[in-house]
Amino acid sequence: MSLLEMRKGTIHFGGLVAVSEATFAIEKGDLFGLIGPNGAGKTTCFNMITGVYRPTSGSVYFKGKQITGTPPNRVAALGIARTFQNIRLFPALSVLENVVVGGFLRHRTGLASALIYLPSAIAETDRLRAEAMDLIRILDLEDVADVRSADLPYGKQRRLEIARAMATQPELLLLDEPAAGMNPQESEDLLRTVRRLRDDFGKTILLIEHDMRFVMNLCEKIFVLDHGEEIAFGPPEKIRNDPGVIQAYLGEAV
Amino acid sequence: MKFVLGRLLSIAAALGLCFAIDVFAHSQNDYTQRLVALAGLYVTLSVSLNLINGITGQFSIGHAAFYQVGAYCGGFLSVRFYDGSPVHGLLWLLVMMAAGAAAAAGAGLVVGLPSLRLRGDYLAIVTMGFGEIIRIIVQNVDAFGGPYGMNVQPKFLHIWLIWLLAVSCIAVCRNLVSSAHGLQFLAVREDEIAAGAMGVNVTRVKVTAFMLGSAFAGAAGALLAHFEGFITPATFAMDVSFIILTMVVLGGSGSITGSVISAAFLSYLPEYLRGLKGPEGGTLAVTGASVAAALFATIIAAGIIRRLLDQARGTPRSRALGVAGIVGATLIGKIVIQWGLLFIPYLRELKIEAGQLRMVIFAVTLIIVMLLRPQGMLAHHELSWAFIGKILGIKAPAKAVTPA
Ligand SMILES: Nc1ncnc2c1ncn2[C@@H]1O[C@H](COP(=O)(O)OP(=O)(O)OP(=O)(O)O)[C@@H](O)[C@H]1O
Ligand SMILES: [Mg+2]
Repeated sequence: MSLLEMRKGTIHFGGLVAVSEATFAIEKGDLFGLIGPNGAGKTTCFNMITGVYRPTSGSVYFKGKQITGTPPNRVAALGIARTFQNIRLFPALSVLENVVVGGFLRHRTGLASALIYLPSAIAETDRLRAEAMDLIRILDLEDVADVRSADLPYGKQRRLEIARAMATQPELLLLDEPAAGMNPQESEDLLRTVRRLRDDFGKTILLIEHDMRFVMNLCEKIFVLDHGEEIAFGPPEKIRNDPGVIQAYLGEAV
Repeated sequence: MKFVLGRLLSIAAALGLCFAIDVFAHSQNDYTQRLVALAGLYVTLSVSLNLINGITGQFSIGHAAFYQVGAYCGGFLSVRFYDGSPVHGLLWLLVMMAAGAAAAAGAGLVVGLPSLRLRGDYLAIVTMGFGEIIRIIVQNVDAFGGPYGMNVQPKFLHIWLIWLLAVSCIAVCRNLVSSAHGLQFLAVREDEIAAGAMGVNVTRVKVTAFMLGSAFAGAAGALLAHFEGFITPATFAMDVSFIILTMVVLGGSGSITGSVISAAFLSYLPEYLRGLKGPEGGTLAVTGASVAAALFATIIAAGIIRRLLDQARGTPRSRALGVAGIVGATLIGKIVIQWGLLFIPYLRELKIEAGQLRMVIFAVTLIIVMLLRPQGMLAHHELSWAFIGKILGIKAPAKAVTPA
């Protein structure tokens, strides 16, 4: 049984078919790349999986169970976390607080005990903070743990998005252009971190990325979309030489 | 053990403060007593609206409606059932507070659930409409006394209880934002979509905040009804909602401390203006000067705090000088305006009572704050020891400080 399966996922926005009958399966432990020119429908696929949009037709399965149209917060609780292409942190909150929000799914005390500040609520908050701190260390953000996230440089904001998503303890991590706007050094570090998330933490990763070197070096399977339709699927060597893919990217003048 | 002790100390301190306020108020005349009581109610109202608008990022503009629901619920129950009830005195008042809170929270659920599930500012429109609907219903129901209002018996003059409610409201909000639970509320304010993607049940958080805020307003309403002994629909008109909203915005949406300070300040201001009798006996000149002074005070408060916060540079001494400079400039500005206005003969004759201008003052204050410092006096900051240290230029001990 695949971890995530998209079966004929289709979504229309008015007259526009943003994604048409996309079908792919992600196995546990995959480093799965989703690429394609601008406007190909990649982010829309993420939105279908995470319940931001309900597919016009087709379905999404997670661990064999249908999750089509499940609201985003329930999808997160099931074990799918994501980052956003146009960074969506909680700007006024500190780095640490951003990550604690991601960890909240696993808190165990009720609202009432927080309102009267019982020791159990304090202990629970401390526990989530400690867990968040571990993730912050893994993503190399400990020097800015108390900085407002809006004040971080771009590259660190992207890493914080990953830390926050990791805090939900997902099985499947969706990364939407995690290396966008990073310099070569940062992007190199990120590549190693993402690989570590799979190798050391057992996460399955689905990633959208425009930086071809990044995708080709990292991913083991690549799914290519163009104008909402699948044009290729396979390992990096195959995708690199696929005439259809080259054509699609040349058409975009990349 | 340490926890129990600390908690007992805090509760004792809160009670002590409330009784001190009570003793002070009761040593004054009736008018001052009422002022102190109203200030306490306004603190509760603005801090509870701040929970909805500032902390959770929703936009409710009809908070007086929930105040009214609580007041009429408590008042009506007292009129009907106090005689012959087994419960008397303070205990009865506590029951009425709980009833008012429950009724307002229920109303909050009915109003909030449909509008909070949607994105956007539907809540603003719905709460405004709800306020008017409640007012009109009450006006047309004879059991509530219609437009003439309702006598509420028995009366209670427990100013300490009014302030205890205010302190509890502050404590609850403060506890919330310092716990992981509260971060969910802040996350919803910051970015609903991202919060949802992190597993936060956005609708539930919003409805919870709305019901909790409404419940405090309802409890305050029940206390008002029994303190005044008389309530009319006019007590809860739109402008009361507007005043509460101004308090929250002026204090800095999201800052509990800001809400408290501006509630105390703005609930006193109109009374101050109303009672003002200058040498000319309430002419426009005097009024104008007071208005100008009030506006200046607002701008200055905003300016000072901005200086302190945004200019982390500079020595404490230079900052103190800056503050003194601004205060001096204000006083001079006030005198110039006062004399300038008195100089124009026509204006000197024109009689306008300061009290009539209070809504104008609120509106202008709101506009000025929005233009000069949209984040309000304290922005998101809270008054804490660490914050005071930061202002004074003292480094806080290395411990994660959590600004709300
Ligand atoms: N909410 C929406 N309403 C209408 N059209 C939309 C919406 N979201 C996406 N689209 C359209 O769907 C198409 C696919 O968009 P999508 O964001 O998925 O592309 P993408 O592959 O992520 O591109 P990029 O590389 O630029 O991020 C685009 O033409 C886009 O304009
Ligand atoms: Mg995209």
